[in-house]
Amino acid sequence: MRRTVNLLLLLATLVAVVASFVYLGLDLLFLGQADNLRQMGAYAARFLQPDLSQTQLLAVGRGALETLAMSALGTLLAALLGLALALPAAGRFGWPARALVRLVLNALRAIPELVWAALMVLAAGLGPNAGTLALALHTAGVLGRLFAEALENTPTAPAEAIRLQGGGQITAFFYGTLPNLWPQLLAYTLYRWENNIRMASVLGFVGAGGLGQMLYISLSLFQEAQASTVIIAMLLLVLAVDALSGWSRQQWVRGA
Amino acid sequence: MSLRLSGAGLQHGNGVHALRGVDLHIAAGERVAIIGPSGAGKSSLLGIMASALRPTSGDLQLLEEDPWRLSSRARQRLRSRIGLIHQAPPLPPRQRVVTAVLAGRLGQWGLGRSMVNLLHPLDIPGARAVLAQLDLADRLFAQCQQLSGGQLQRVGIARALYQDPSLLLADEPVSAMDPVLADHTLRVLCRHAESRGVTLVASLHAVELALAHFPRIIGVRAGQIAFDRPAGEVDPELLDALYANEQLVSPPLPTASMELQIPRC
Repeated sequence: MRRTVNLLLLLATLVAVVASFVYLGLDLLFLGQADNLRQMGAYAARFLQPDLSQTQLLAVGRGALETLAMSALGTLLAALLGLALALPAAGRFGWPARALVRLVLNALRAIPELVWAALMVLAAGLGPNAGTLALALHTAGVLGRLFAEALENTPTAPAEAIRLQGGGQITAFFYGTLPNLWPQLLAYTLYRWENNIRMASVLGFVGAGGLGQMLYISLSLFQEAQASTVIIAMLLLVLAVDALSGWSRQQWVRGA
Repeated sequence: MSLRLSGAGLQHGNGVHALRGVDLHIAAGERVAIIGPSGAGKSSLLGIMASALRPTSGDLQLLEEDPWRLSSRARQRLRSRIGLIHQAPPLPPRQRVVTAVLAGRLGQWGLGRSMVNLLHPLDIPGARAVLAQLDLADRLFAQCQQLSGGQLQRVGIARALYQDPSLLLADEPVSAMDPVLADHTLRVLCRHAESRGVTLVASLHAVELALAHFPRIIGVRAGQIAFDRPAGEVDPELLDALYANEQLVSPPLPTASMELQIPRC
C-alpha cells in the first residue's frame, strides 16, 4: 500500500516537471544541442574583452565617483536624520513621541532602497539626486533604529551624575552619554556606508544615476565590452570600500 | 544650617524601608563621617542629601532649601552647589581625565562654554591643580579606561573638588585605595573643607579612618541612626553594638575592614 502511494507520488512529480516545461515553452531538446557550448563561450568571450578606451574609462571613472558621492552623502544625511529620530525613539521625549517615531522608522525601513529610488526618480527626476535621497531615506530608518537601541543600552549613570551636580539635559547627554555611544554610532554608520556603496551601484537600474545607470544602458544596447568595464569598476569599488572601512574601523572604533 | 532632615524616611518600590525616621542637623562647615554595616542605609542617606533620592516621608532642607519643592530649574541651581563623590565614579571609559574633571563645573557654566570645553579643555591649569593635590597630575590626558579603580576614585574626587560646592558628600570615597593613599586622600578632602568652610559628609567603612579624620561620627544601623556623637566619645562597645551581626558566628572586627575593594568601572 505504502509503496504504491510513493510510486504514485513519484509519477505525479515527473508529470508536473514535464508539464512545467511544456507550459513555459522551454525546448528540452534545444538545451542538448552541440552548438550551445560554443555559443555560451562566445557570449562569455565578449565580456572578457572589456572596453579600455580612454573615453570609456573616463566615463566609468565619472560614474564611480558619482556612485561614491551618492552613497557618502546619502549615508551622512541618514546618520544625521537617524540620530535626530533615535532620541525620541529611545523614549527621551515621552512615550507618545516614541511610538510615533518608531512607526516612522519602521515605515522608512520597510520600503527597500530600490522602491524608494523609483519613487524619488518620479519626485526628483532622473539622476544622482534621486539615488541620494533614496539611500538617505531607507538608511535613516535603519540607522535610527540601531542608534535608538544603542542609546537604550548605554549606561545612564554618567549622565545622571552630571544632572546631580546641576548640569543641563543637553550637557549631560554630551558629557555622559555620547562618549560611550559615539564609537558604536560610528561603527554602524561605516557599516551602512559600505552597504550603500554596493546599493548605489544598483540603484541606477531604475534611473537613479551612478555606475548602475551606465551598466543598464550598456546592457540594453548589447554593448558587452562596455558593460564588462563597468562590472570590473564595481568590483574594484567594492573591494576598495571593504579595505577602507576595515581600516577606518581599526582606526577610530577599536583603537581609540 | 547646611543640612536638616526631620523624620525622613525612604521606602523602596518593593516595600523595603531603607531609612526610617531619620533626624539629623549638620551645621555649615561641619565634617561628619557616617559609619555602619553593609546595607544599613549609608548610601541611601547620602542619596537623599545629594537630592538623588526623594524621601518618601519627612522633611528635608539642603542649604536652606527643600529641593523637592523647587522648580526643576531652581533644583538644578541648588544641585550645582552640592557635590557628590561616588564610590565607583560613573565616568565614560573613553573620556579624558581633564574633561572628566572639568565637567565638575557644568552646573555653573552655560551651554556654549560647556560645548567648547568638550572640544577643547578650557581650564587645563585648574584641572592640573586639583589632580596634583591627589598625586595624579601626570594622568591629566589619559583616558579614564586606562586608570585603576583607586585612580578613578581620585578623578571622581578631583571633579567634586573642582566643582567647589558648599556641601560636599562622599560615598565610600577611598574604598579602592591602599591605606596610605586613603589616609592622604581623606586629609586632602578635610583640608579642602576646612579652608573653604565647606560642609563635608562622608560614609566610610574603615572606622579607623573615620575616627582619625572626622570630629563627628554618625552610626547607622538598619535604616536608623544608632548614635551621633563626637569622635572622642565613640568607644569599642558602641562599635561592637553597631556592627553586631546575628547571622555570623564570629562578628567581624570593624577595624580590620580596611581591605581593598575594587569597584566595577
